[in-house]
Amino acid sequence: MVLMIDTTTSHIGEQVVEELLQRGANPTEFELIDTTGMRISHCVGCNYCWLKTPGICAVKDDYEPILKKMNRADQVWLISDTHFGFVSYQTKNIVDRVMPLVTMYLKVKDGQMRHVMRYDRQLDIGVIYTGDGDQAYLEWWCKRTALNLGSRSLGVFEEARRKEAVLCML
Amino acid sequence: MHAVIINGSPRVQKYSNTEKIIASFTKGLTEKGVSFETYAISDRQSWEMIREAYRKNEEILIALPLYVECVPGLLLEFLETLPEKDDHTRLSFLLQSGFAEGCQLRCGEAFLEKLPKYLGVRYGGCLVKGDNFGIRMVDKEKQEQITKPYQAMGELFAEGDGFLREEAKRFTGPEYFSLPIRLIMQIVFRTLGKKMFQKAAASWGCHTPLDEKVWETNSECGKGEGGSV
Repeated sequence: MVLMIDTTTSHIGEQVVEELLQRGANPTEFELIDTTGMRISHCVGCNYCWLKTPGICAVKDDYEPILKKMNRADQVWLISDTHFGFVSYQTKNIVDRVMPLVTMYLKVKDGQMRHVMRYDRQLDIGVIYTGDGDQAYLEWWCKRTALNLGSRSLGVFEEARRKEAVLCML
Repeated sequence: MHAVIINGSPRVQKYSNTEKIIASFTKGLTEKGVSFETYAISDRQSWEMIREAYRKNEEILIALPLYVECVPGLLLEFLETLPEKDDHTRLSFLLQSGFAEGCQLRCGEAFLEKLPKYLGVRYGGCLVKGDNFGIRMVDKEKQEQITKPYQAMGELFAEGDGFLREEAKRFTGPEYFSLPIRLIMQIVFRTLGKKMFQKAAASWGCHTPLDEKVWETNSECGKGEGGSV
């Protein structure tokens, strides 16, 4: 299952979906969530999802259904505008709040401390961005983020290269 | 020198580890006769006041916790609202994290290093240190003990070179832990570490296993709801 989470103001996720359909992708194998109009708070850092109600976020808004879908997806694509060369705060909020999928427990993996994941599934992540993103930095960030989730980066693609991203989804 | 210090943590000030670090850091500033004003972005009501302080002053320090390899979403949102300034203003950072090794904070540091350019201001360096997760979990005396080293960094900052000096770079500690230490950590994490976290959780009123697969095992949240979200 491929999940795309689009926070862009120009809704470029729709174009990615068109591209997928043109290439014969089965509509049951991907889903686009456009977050326009959804209430998605930032992570407030309360640690409840680790220590008080393990696996459950204390902030009650429109995020939990998205997180459940992320937990079932094989690929999660963040479709984001960029500021300061980085993803927008709307996209960063979605990533910051992934912590219920991670546990408080620690391990050492590949020479570094890591948290133990709550579920056995592997959630690979990729980025498609608009605007003046810092490509090299975004690639580094995406790789590091995947490392924290025990998964792989699918790559980072600017809007104009979305066809390449689609090839990674099929 | 007069410094504006902004706590960039989204957590309420009372429980903010960054806040405790700032308290120790500013003792060092006071020691060296530097005045300062502090703000926290966790309270949105104060954003206009913080922007005003940012506009009026030339020595700005943002202290923040690392959130998923970069700055917390709330701080990103705040940063997008800052007015453009010129290089008379110097912007420095104090980046802290739960993970202990220096290598864990480098991706966040790299973002902060480039950020001042986007805002039109000058970069004053970034103080990097991890191993701060436990601050909120311990009593006041232990908190002061953990954050004590930051006081010396306040004194260093007061000398006027931001965090660009070698002493600030050394403050990070080990970039990676050595293999023997990693092996010991691995054992501790599997045994004592788990017990410690479970005990901390119990003190918060939580008695379920911290690694419970809630969406697979709990009938209320689990398979029954599978297709409905």
